[in-house]
Amino acid sequence: MIATTVRATAASLAFATAALAQTAAPTAAPAAAEATQAQPNRGSSTPIPEGATTVEMKANAAGSAVATGAGEVAAGQFVGVVKPTLEGLDLTPDHMENGRWYNAEGIPVPNVQNGQVDYATFSGYRRYHAECHVCHGPDGEGSTYAPALKDSVVHGMDYYTYQEIVASGKQDVNRAANLVMPAFGTNRNVWCYVDDIYVYLLARGTEAIPRGRPADKADKSEEFAAQEASCMEG
Amino acid sequence: MKLTLTGAGVALLLSSSAIWANDSVMQAIADPGQYAIQTLDYANTRYSPLDQINRDNVGDLRVAWTFSTGVLRGHEGAPLVIGDIMYVHTPFPNNVFALDLSNDGQIIWRYEPQQDPEVIAVMCCDTVNRGLAYADGMILLSQADTTVVALDAKTGEQKWATKVGDPAIGETLTATVMPVKDKVMVGISGGEYGVRGRMTALNLADGTEAWKAYSTGPDEEMLVDPQNTTHLGKPIGENSSLNSWEGDQWKIGGGTIWGWFSYDPELDLIYYGTGNPSTWNPSQRPGDNRWSMTIMARDPDDGMAKWFYQMTPHDEWDFDGVNEMILTDQEFKGEQRKLLTHFDRNGFAYTLDRGTGELLVAEKFDPVVNWATEVNMDPNSDQYGRPQVVAEYSTAQNGEDENTTGVCPAALGTKDQQPAAFSPKTNLFYVPTNHVCMDYEPFRVAYTAGQPYVGATLSMYPAPNSHGGMGNFIAWDNIAGEIKWSLPERFSVWSGALATNGDVVFYGTLEGYLKAVDAETGNELYRFKTPSGIIGNVMTYEHGGKQYIGVLSGVGGWAGIGLAAGLTNPNEGLGAVGGYAALSDFTELGGQLTVFELPGDAPAAATTQAAATTTAPAATDASSGGAAGTAAAGAAPSDPSAPAAGLGASESTATGVVPMEPAADAALKAGGSAEEAAPADPSAPAEGLGAGKSTATGGVPMEPAADAAAGGTAPASN
Repeated sequence: MIATTVRATAASLAFATAALAQTAAPTAAPAAAEATQAQPNRGSSTPIPEGATTVEMKANAAGSAVATGAGEVAAGQFVGVVKPTLEGLDLTPDHMENGRWYNAEGIPVPNVQNGQVDYATFSGYRRYHAECHVCHGPDGEGSTYAPALKDSVVHGMDYYTYQEIVASGKQDVNRAANLVMPAFGTNRNVWCYVDDIYVYLLARGTEAIPRGRPADKADKSEEFAAQEASCMEG
Repeated sequence: MKLTLTGAGVALLLSSSAIWANDSVMQAIADPGQYAIQTLDYANTRYSPLDQINRDNVGDLRVAWTFSTGVLRGHEGAPLVIGDIMYVHTPFPNNVFALDLSNDGQIIWRYEPQQDPEVIAVMCCDTVNRGLAYADGMILLSQADTTVVALDAKTGEQKWATKVGDPAIGETLTATVMPVKDKVMVGISGGEYGVRGRMTALNLADGTEAWKAYSTGPDEEMLVDPQNTTHLGKPIGENSSLNSWEGDQWKIGGGTIWGWFSYDPELDLIYYGTGNPSTWNPSQRPGDNRWSMTIMARDPDDGMAKWFYQMTPHDEWDFDGVNEMILTDQEFKGEQRKLLTHFDRNGFAYTLDRGTGELLVAEKFDPVVNWATEVNMDPNSDQYGRPQVVAEYSTAQNGEDENTTGVCPAALGTKDQQPAAFSPKTNLFYVPTNHVCMDYEPFRVAYTAGQPYVGATLSMYPAPNSHGGMGNFIAWDNIAGEIKWSLPERFSVWSGALATNGDVVFYGTLEGYLKAVDAETGNELYRFKTPSGIIGNVMTYEHGGKQYIGVLSGVGGWAGIGLAAGLTNPNEGLGAVGGYAALSDFTELGGQLTVFELPGDAPAAATTQAAATTTAPAATDASSGGAAGTAAAGAAPSDPSAPAAGLGASESTATGVVPMEPAADAALKAGGSAEEAAPADPSAPAEGLGAGKSTATGGVPMEPAADAAAGGTAPASN
């Protein structure tokens, strides 16, 4: 049911789907199928099934989000519950694409060298504090009603679940809660920077950078600028 | 300190012009025992003539009773009291409870609207609702999904419902509505979604639209007269808004209306302010962006604008102009004037002549305000009325992708919507404020309908080189333009103030304290920590000859976003003390009404005995109770104390009115509470009853226990 909804949403949004394909990279899509197993903690070090498509990945990941993400992410964040870290998440920058760093499995990662953040992490800081912080609080720290995403990304929410929730939203509405995450799949101001926001949150969650604006950042590369322009104008 | 009554304009407003205003609202307001609209009076003074609780005895205050709303989000606004009934609202899903004050707070009826939860996704800053309003025997509710609903005050029956906006494009409602004459004024929220702001007037009788006045766009859609609508005394001219925007940006240009509204019955003008222009990136909208950030005075009959004053042309900081306009009649430079005082987000407190819109005073109400040096007060200057922007803090001059640092105040404003109070005894305004500064980096954003349209990154922190806290509660002289005293607070003061004839001022804090201070000195006289942070507004009422103080707890709102985890790293050491602490170290989510009283019975000579009102449900009127009571036989429980309680059943033919429990269940529950509440007098007529009859034939809100018990039956739901 939910997967169906998500598929329809993703399919109808050529822009979002294209952006997803672009940012997720070919190697990433199969790993998304892993999310179907509802084991977000296993990260990306899993066998890679063949032939998964982007849209299917989104649908599957949605199932994962509903099965595990809702409770994991929404509960108790106001007081900062300590949870185990995301096992198997390889934070080693391996290669660049479109001016962004990815690990060997194609998962975007931050690259912080001597206190200087890569431009994507800075971009993520900036977009987070325009689009996300009005619910999720400053510096990914959470608010009275939305989870601390800096913890979520290292405590239970893998990259594909993150992407899925950002694209399609999430609801936890019942007698005790009225939590609704919007779907940002059509919002260029979010979706063109979805990987940037992710690496920023990873950098925060792993304490690679402190709270506040990153003190020093790498320059914006031509590749980054070109991809950004293409996405924002598309 | 002046102690004269030169500021007694409140009373004047209330007494002299009933023929112009909505009679039912005026009558309800005139009874100080009641609380009929969110602003307490049309003038928005939030000053109550009640004086049983005063500076000498407020220290003895204690909790009288409490009520849980069942919702755990930010609770703004305050409950209403009409006659013997209190009306409590909640954040989304915007439930309404009618509580019987004569019957230990038993729920007479409840209204639970069915709204698409998707609307939550387009509420920028929590699912707050700033409360109900009363008029013509109806309770008026503004739902998050922009539906305005009129409910029969006695039964909860829905009289009409009108949707004034579309959440699919980011339009929501958070503000209360204001009934005026035969209409009700309704705003719109969504400035962070590119919503085009407007005021909509609905006809009270049936909810149909009477007029609609946009904040931006063509003259005819703004309901302005280019020759007769003025700005600082001069005609605004033709196309005043269109000429101040580039291209069609005004169509997604904000100017939303989500604050408080006021009304002067003598001048027959309504007053309100408009919000920020969209986006937050000023480079994407060159021009003055009229009429965002503007105080507006309009004729309530047809919406025609009398005058405007734009406080922050071409906003660069998100300083919405929506805060309340407080109407007073005071002496200004030796002359009695009809004044309008407004504490703006931008950190300036404005005093204007509310008849003409003439600017009289514009001074900073927090000394740290730095984005402008002053407001130009020279009528002969081309800068007249304009803030003199400091280049260093101009996010427009510094440009896109540049981080402008150290701007005070932050986008939260020196004060947000949490309303101030005015006491005519002291001629002082009591103002809850923020003491927060920010870095602001604008950048280019694309517009997608129904999606956030922000365009700037913010970083906020307590005002540097100050007391380290993030708020102050101040007393302000609107004639001199000076702070009289200032109480530092650990967190932003996000609660509306209440001033009373007892020389006490009340406000709440984000940690959850209800505080009472001396109206003259600011000395703290009382504090009590409620279960959750307070962002609601303190209210007062009288029942049974006794004064009560009420306030909603339930942390959230914009304050709950920025402060939940603390604004900044506590280790950064910017010279602050406790102010950096996270709000989550002090309080948790909640949703509770706490009502306070003095110990003992009501004074023998009640100072302000609540007048009998024509509008209040007749809780003790037994005349027609028997009919309903005998409508259904065979439902009588065996417990002799229970039949009365069984009347808790309510018929619910009206959409959205939720039936009470089945009679038997209700009997068990209410029977228990009735025993607890009145052990000494089992025949107490008011106990245990709370039947809300919501069929169209209603008019029988409650049956007395005696009648029902005598009949030995309880009505069944049909």
